[in-house]
Amino acid sequence: MAFEAKSEAGYTIVSMDETRLDASISEPFRLYLFDQIDSGCDQVIIDLASVRFMDSSGLGVLVSALKKMAGQGALKLAAPQPAVEDLFNLTSMDKLFTITPTVAKAIEG
Amino acid sequence: MDILIVEDARDQRLMLAVVLKKQGHQVFQAADGHEALDVLAQHPSIRIVISDWMMPNMDGIALCESIRQSNIGRYVYFILLTGKSDRQAMVDGINSGADDFVNKPVDFAELNARLNAGIRIIELKADLENKIQTIEKDLESAAETQARLLSEPARIQQVDFNWYFKPSRILGGDMFGYHALDEQTLGFYQLDVAGHGIPSALFSFTLNNLLREGSSASLLKAALSGPPFYRIKEPDEVLVSLNDQFQARPEAMLYFTIAYGIINSRTGSVTLSQAGHPPPLWLDGRSRTIRKIGGGGVPLGMMPDMTYSNVTFDLQPGDRLFLYSDGVTECENSEGEMFGEARLESLLAETFDHGVADMIKKVEQSIIGWTGADVFIDDVTYLVLEWQP
Repeated sequence: MAFEAKSEAGYTIVSMDETRLDASISEPFRLYLFDQIDSGCDQVIIDLASVRFMDSSGLGVLVSALKKMAGQGALKLAAPQPAVEDLFNLTSMDKLFTITPTVAKAIEG
Repeated sequence: MDILIVEDARDQRLMLAVVLKKQGHQVFQAADGHEALDVLAQHPSIRIVISDWMMPNMDGIALCESIRQSNIGRYVYFILLTGKSDRQAMVDGINSGADDFVNKPVDFAELNARLNAGIRIIELKADLENKIQTIEKDLESAAETQARLLSEPARIQQVDFNWYFKPSRILGGDMFGYHALDEQTLGFYQLDVAGHGIPSALFSFTLNNLLREGSSASLLKAALSGPPFYRIKEPDEVLVSLNDQFQARPEAMLYFTIAYGIINSRTGSVTLSQAGHPPPLWLDGRSRTIRKIGGGGVPLGMMPDMTYSNVTFDLQPGDRLFLYSDGVTECENSEGEMFGEARLESLLAETFDHGVADMIKKVEQSIIGWTGADVFIDDVTYLVLEWQP
């Protein structure tokens, strides 16, 4: 599994080289995100462009990062693909996150 | 310890055997790899093989590879005897699955030390296997407990309930139930705790206890000061209190999705609320259409202070509700394609003339046919109710 973080316009943009965000990688992904947050990143965009499928553990990781930040800073989700977007709709994730169609849109505002 | 010596030079083999027997080991002998495989097959007690490298017919490396590739149901500790001292030979030996090496001519003190190392590993492994067996027994008895918690198919106040439940790995995080709240109102629910295995199952047990009749007076009913001294809570109120009660920690995101509803068994009026659960399907018998009820809602336990909405609708006699977990629609076929909502709905559309039990069977056969096996990646659960006044 490969996760990557880069800085752009004041944001930490986290992306992954994975098509499935599921139970098999949710724990390493959580540790990676928590590491970023612990090291002081408080404006985070998660780029989901590569993810074709997300299960309940993958969704849990996104929310756990949000809970970990405890209202300090911002966590945005960018570029969800159709199946992931369906999951976000089913679980009303727009109530918890700013969700944008692209990373560029997330940076704009 | 039962040890097999594989060595083509008879005198060397016998000498090794004598030394090892003196140390209290049970010793078997073979003159080449082929013979060794036969002896291993006949004596399942053999856990250590000490084999020469160079032998006619089948050499030590080929023997080691053959043991590693075979399915003999136990780990055999493999010590290779070698006159070769070059590093490449050792790398080849390790790559073919050898555990240790002893140079020839054999130094018996060294061989003894290496044998003891092998015995330690075999004993550790046996210890581990015993522990795993104990855990598996515990899991099985927990699964039996879980099965006992499931409500029996039943007819309660003119409403028939039936279901299908198949946990993915012995224990599941799916749960469902139904019961009378008073003489004309029934509550029913289907929930899915994120993840599988022990933490999810334990959490689903807790939720099930809370949502069951009797123990749930404060969760499902509010007290009133005047007659009838209680009020049945609206489903959205119930979800709000569950959400406040079970906030997950970021380190262990135990959250769940749920559809919870109440039905008036005299009028067929249903009120439903859900939190991130697949929308229940209303099988409208009169128009023979399938309608998705509601949808959305943040799963419970994720964030405090969420609100949920109710959907109210009236069943006609013979109408059914189909509640299910995402394990149904996320079943994959051999090409990785999911069963999906559309396929589920068109399948259900063919069941209007079938009884509830038949319909449950049809859905089960269909998803087993889809996955090609009755072992599922996720818990598969569906709950069907039919209003039959």
